[in-house]
Amino acid sequence: MTELLQNLIDGLGRGSIYALLALGVAVVFGIMHLLNFAHGELITIPGYLTYWAFQNNWSWWTVVPLIIVSAVLTSLLIERIAFSRVRGAKDFTLLLTSFGVHFIVAAGFLLYVGAAVKPYPRPDWFADTVSAGSLNVEVFDLVVIGVTIVVLAGTTWLLQRTMFGLALRAAASDFDTARLMGVKSDSVIRGAFALSGFLAGIAGVFWIMREGQMTPTAGIPPMLQGVLAALIGGLGSLRGAVLGGLVLGLAEVLLRSWLPVGIQNLTTGFVFVMIALLFIFRPGGLLSVPQVERV
Amino acid sequence: MKLRQLLALLLALAMIAAACSSGDSDTDTAEDTSSDTDDAMEDDAMEDDGESHAGLDIDAIMAADLANCADAPSGDPIRVGMVMDFSEAAGFVDVPGSEFTPYVASLINCSGGINGQPVEVEVRESGADPALATQELIDWGAHFFIGPPFADATLPMQQTGGGEYAIFAAASTEPTLADAENNTFLVTFDDVGQSTASAEFALAQGLTRAIIFTEGEGVPYSGVNPDAFKTAFEAGGGEIVSEQTYVWFGDTDFSSQVNEIAGVADGSEVFFSAGAGFQITALRAQMEGQGLNDITYMGTDAFDATGITFDPGAEGFIHTPHYLIEDGGTFAGVLADSGVESDAPAFMPLYIDSMFLGIQGILDCGCDDPSGIADAVKNISGFEGVSGTITYAGTNGIPPKAVQIVQVQDGANVLLDTIG
Repeated sequence: MTELLQNLIDGLGRGSIYALLALGVAVVFGIMHLLNFAHGELITIPGYLTYWAFQNNWSWWTVVPLIIVSAVLTSLLIERIAFSRVRGAKDFTLLLTSFGVHFIVAAGFLLYVGAAVKPYPRPDWFADTVSAGSLNVEVFDLVVIGVTIVVLAGTTWLLQRTMFGLALRAAASDFDTARLMGVKSDSVIRGAFALSGFLAGIAGVFWIMREGQMTPTAGIPPMLQGVLAALIGGLGSLRGAVLGGLVLGLAEVLLRSWLPVGIQNLTTGFVFVMIALLFIFRPGGLLSVPQVERV
Repeated sequence: MKLRQLLALLLALAMIAAACSSGDSDTDTAEDTSSDTDDAMEDDAMEDDGESHAGLDIDAIMAADLANCADAPSGDPIRVGMVMDFSEAAGFVDVPGSEFTPYVASLINCSGGINGQPVEVEVRESGADPALATQELIDWGAHFFIGPPFADATLPMQQTGGGEYAIFAAASTEPTLADAENNTFLVTFDDVGQSTASAEFALAQGLTRAIIFTEGEGVPYSGVNPDAFKTAFEAGGGEIVSEQTYVWFGDTDFSSQVNEIAGVADGSEVFFSAGAGFQITALRAQMEGQGLNDITYMGTDAFDATGITFDPGAEGFIHTPHYLIEDGGTFAGVLADSGVESDAPAFMPLYIDSMFLGIQGILDCGCDDPSGIADAVKNISGFEGVSGTITYAGTNGIPPKAVQIVQVQDGANVLLDTIG
């Protein structure tokens, strides 16, 4: 029972990071129908800045805002340089553009920074635990869950209570009609990328802390988990993205624990099989939203 | 259920079956090859125990002063082809290795060359086509090759050269990569050698309970190393109290593994894996968070490749690097003078030893045809390289080198023992 509870908390901690990543993916998808495979670069670039910062004797207190700000700026920059050029193009073109951004960024780091692992220190408290009876809970997981709740609450407020949120939701529902109603497309799209970058930045803080090192392709795993979680939840659904992230995190931890010794290293494979089964019975994901076909 | 749904369900079940059978197949292949290697070593054992010829003064080469060189050698050049992997997978060693080797070749030439012959080094990136890179270097006139550490590049090199060129997989410890019959050689101990030595060392310290992390039985490197440790540890009377799986060079959150370990471990165990430094430091922190404070952590040469000895979390880690670089020593001086920046400096002696071994083959055979050189390399015995004593005679291409057991103390590597 103790192990199950610990695994549940671990799974929620991991799932919270996935939820933030998935929400960022879903926000951009809702506006542009872009499944952004360059979302991981919002962690890779801040990750290398983290390495640079620690080489210059920064502390985590200053590195955390650096990660968030750089993720937002990176997101805006990628939109400006790459996606603004193909705005309105077919979904497949957008998808290929996002792949292109990923490969260019990875190749840039490989060529100009190097292939070697770039390590940096994790925060001192990252593996500290608090005990409750026989339960030892990682402080890191509690912080991740707590921050995620606050960020999700803030995001909900932003989307439900502000003009920007209203414009974003309107554009996500029907972009062309929203434009006819006076919503400025440039502002909404940039706002969506900024929000996506901010969410990736928050997730990136925890991801980068946990990793303790950076490599040119370090953005691939968080990108994949974010996209997968968004798919599980139902592409375009913001609530679904959060739910998908939590489900994915819990599935990973619990499957790893429950699978018999010898096939535990197939955990990822089983997760994909479960996703395949989900799509058989709910092709639109857990919380599917009606898709408006762009013409 | 609709037909489409039924087909999708069948597809999902087929994926599970394929994943399981694929794992079995990998295991069988690795085991078969490993046993072939052993057989080959027994069959060929010491058929030729001739000592290597003299003629290569490595100490003099390493002491050469580029500001004060001898007359430039003017004979036909000895040509060293380097096919290197600059990707993320091997670039951390192959990039600096491909810069350091030409530098040492310039030291050879500065000290007068090899019997008046200059040494030339040409580097090609393996990229997506190692065969093309190899062919270009064959056309250039390479006498032998230094290759990357993985079979996906080394095998095409072997095929392109028709198995006639000596290929040194400088940074590799992969036992299945060595193949003396086709002239492919490791320059250092293999995974079985380093992990067996670690198990022997642990037992000698009185550690009889072990926790191992593996990526799966027979999986190259991340599985083969813990397999070898487990075999040697149990053969020596030790007990594996927990065997966990993880994603090598991927996972940094080991929560579920640690939850399981906490149920069976008492904190007195030795931990062994082939994990990267940043993984083991994360795992250790999580273990200590669960109250498992006195575990002895042991790793392989991968630990040394990830430049993390500065991390307080790495203090006390025991591992098996390829070379213990002494501050102020000759090698440290040459590496510093070269200006090559490497996060894995202990691998660098393997690259220049590869070059020295090929040159020794040329000196031994007194020839310049690649197959004659390769035949001579096969018979090298007792070669005193920078990284240690190397013998290929009577082996399948894996030199039976001594393994240094090293511990991180105050952020630096300190030698504890040498095994073998």
